[in-house]
Amino acid sequence: MTAVISAVNLSKWYGNVLGLNDVSLEIEAGITGLLGPNGAGKSTFMKLATGQLKPNIGTVAIHGRRTWNAPDLFRTVGFCPEPDAFYEDVTGFEFVAGLLRFYGFPKKEIGERAARALDIVDLSKDRDRLIRGYSRGMRQRVKFAQAIAHDPEVLILDEPLSGLDPLGKRKLIKLIKGFKDEGRTVLVSSHVLPEIEALTSQVVLVHQGKVLAQGDVPYIRDLIEAHPHMISVRSSDPRRLAARFVGDPAVLKMTFGADGRTLVVETRNRDHLFGGLTAAVLEAGIEVEEISSPDDNLQAVFEYLVGK
Amino acid sequence: MTIRSAAREVFGFFFVLVRRTGRTRTFALLGLIPVALAVVARVFLRGRSGDMAAVSTEILMVFFLQFYIIILALFFGTSIAAEEVENRTLVYLITRPVPKPAIVFGKFAAYSALMGGMTALGLAISFFILNAARLGEPALYATFFRYLGVLVLGILAYTAFFAFLGTVLKRAIILGLVFGFGWETAIQYFPGSTQRFSIVHYLKSLLPYRPGGGGGRGVALLLFRLEPTAPLLAVLALVGITAVFLALTCVLFRAKEYLSED
Repeated sequence: MTAVISAVNLSKWYGNVLGLNDVSLEIEAGITGLLGPNGAGKSTFMKLATGQLKPNIGTVAIHGRRTWNAPDLFRTVGFCPEPDAFYEDVTGFEFVAGLLRFYGFPKKEIGERAARALDIVDLSKDRDRLIRGYSRGMRQRVKFAQAIAHDPEVLILDEPLSGLDPLGKRKLIKLIKGFKDEGRTVLVSSHVLPEIEALTSQVVLVHQGKVLAQGDVPYIRDLIEAHPHMISVRSSDPRRLAARFVGDPAVLKMTFGADGRTLVVETRNRDHLFGGLTAAVLEAGIEVEEISSPDDNLQAVFEYLVGK
Repeated sequence: MTIRSAAREVFGFFFVLVRRTGRTRTFALLGLIPVALAVVARVFLRGRSGDMAAVSTEILMVFFLQFYIIILALFFGTSIAAEEVENRTLVYLITRPVPKPAIVFGKFAAYSALMGGMTALGLAISFFILNAARLGEPALYATFFRYLGVLVLGILAYTAFFAFLGTVLKRAIILGLVFGFGWETAIQYFPGSTQRFSIVHYLKSLLPYRPGGGGGRGVALLLFRLEPTAPLLAVLALVGITAVFLALTCVLFRAKEYLSED
């Protein structure tokens, strides 16, 4: 397969701050998730890919064409930006239709396309309300509508699911998947793994301006599993609980919390540990009040990968 | 899309958009102050058409020429690029198949049309209230259109200049105020060719020049030391200023990378 979006040795600085560092990447048709914590460089990559920023070093291209100052390219590219920013004094319909004017469609078609895009994101009823009065979820949806209204081949979505309620997220995920089924290319960013996982199996891990890993979700999951996890257990008798795990090969380290009721266990095998906890409750009658996993997030995975 | 057709679409989009902003409403109301002044003058100067013509010229010179079109151009001109960056809406424009110069041309045209409309409205109402006794004279209409033409040329030149400032600087308003109400006010009274480094010099050169008065004491003061440029040259200078600063704005806007706070 040929790459739709390609970056070669791409670097971007904001003054002395490094936004992206020597990134080489090829994104093919289908959905690709750009995954990384806040400030990782996801938005910088997307801004470079959509011609908002000019690379300091390297190139980024869509269909082989460099994106900086290439307006014609955007006939086939749709972009949903992350910031909650709009022309507030227009209605949802005027916003989408107004931006459609820039593609040179006939007036009638502009109206039809805008209406269709707003219908897709369930904003038909509210299309004549000013954006100023929209809820966060509606604003997110109208932003998505403007990105798809011109029927782009390549869709670049920066945190499109943020601010949406669970139902809204589900609908949008279904919609984005529909684009993939039509053979289009979607690049979507998020800092939440389950969101990306719901969308695609192809993931690019970005951290501190670098691509840490690229692969499918099971591979990322494996990385997470290989990462030592901290499990915090609040119990009426943490010392008796700890005694049960001494000698367990899955347990790397145990410490007691300052409150005297918390046991923090570091393990490479979470499932095994949870099994042991269940047994402790059932067999030894140890009361467990709360189980939490303070580092069960992407940041911890990234820190683990960076430190590796 | 060609720059021309894209600019037309940008114009259409922003002409609708800008009319709805609070800023436009405020400036539209401000533009009606001369109407109130004209009504007051008409009440107090009833029957003295010479005095009312003088008030009419004062309104043109002091309010429209030296205040209103400058303040309009300053706020609308600097916002051509800056408001898109500050409001983080630039992304919606530059991720479209629209050449960046078309964004500048389209917004410039939309804002200039709006400013021209607001200025024409205030000028027309106040002018005809004050000159109601002469409505049958064709010369009155020639004067009105001459005034309006001067103001439109002023709007275009100032807006292009301030658009350039807004593209170069992050906080262009302050420098714009210094230019509009400092430099422009002071330099026009300098003798010799120095006054040619102001936009207002060329605008005043297009107005009827009556040394020693004839238009009232205030006008005599404002025209004091004016060494007018020939009308054709003045028009060419104003068109040139507009074209040069608009072209510079386009070049800069195309080359510049805008980083939003996020």
